[in-house]
Amino acid sequence: MRPVSSQFLILKTAALFGLWIMLSAQFNPFHLGLGLLLSFLVAWINSGHSPFVPRFQLWGRILLYLPWLFLRIIQSSLHLTKLILDPRLPIHPRLIRYESKLQEPPAVVLLGNSITLTPGTITAEVNGQVLLVHAMDEVSGEDVTSGRLEAKIAQVFGDSDSRA
Amino acid sequence: MEILAMILIVAGLFFLIVAAIGVIRLPDVFTRSHAVSLTDSLGAFLLLIGIAIYEGLSMNVLKILAVLSLLYLQNPVISHATLRAAVRAGLKPWKEKAP
Repeated sequence: MRPVSSQFLILKTAALFGLWIMLSAQFNPFHLGLGLLLSFLVAWINSGHSPFVPRFQLWGRILLYLPWLFLRIIQSSLHLTKLILDPRLPIHPRLIRYESKLQEPPAVVLLGNSITLTPGTITAEVNGQVLLVHAMDEVSGEDVTSGRLEAKIAQVFGDSDSRA
Repeated sequence: MEILAMILIVAGLFFLIVAAIGVIRLPDVFTRSHAVSLTDSLGAFLLLIGIAIYEGLSMNVLKILAVLSLLYLQNPVISHATLRAAVRAGLKPWKEKAP
């Protein structure tokens, strides 16, 4: 028998079952039963791997952070559209070396992902806490260089450390 | 409702076209991948939201949202991988000539 950590098995099953319902959209007993059986099997087979600790508060705060990020994405998209359609093509691309103070790897991942998701800035290389960011021009890179984005993410992750 | 959906879809197409123009006009791989990231951040978003509104409330809307969240998770990974490969291959970013 494989070592099974029964921790959060029901949670994982529920998550997979929700995905199953969403994708199948069939509500007869056969489909629901099959889905429940399969999601439990998948959750059970995968239960020996990396330790999984749900951090609901953190996920909640990340969800609250997304609308802000989305607003920034729209703003920088419009800025980039203006740059591209400008006949003079006024771009000043640059590489920015940015040293982050974020400690947790997931926080750095979220930072890099947010930077890349925002049009006009892309994370080109991550080495520990040092990020190499390529920016289209000064305005695009402002969120990174001013540390605004990092401050937001520190806020998202910061509280969870003190509570843990 | 249909008119709103159409407006959203046309707006999405507009950003897709802008991204295509950007890929042609911009000078190097770094700046071009910025243009490409415009497709998923606004282009695909407006398109898919337009389709979701056109569909009305149904299971398909949830599926469209799932597609959208996957796009937003994976596209940064792809452009990051491309640029990292460019940096490691020793490509120098394009710079405007000093005046």
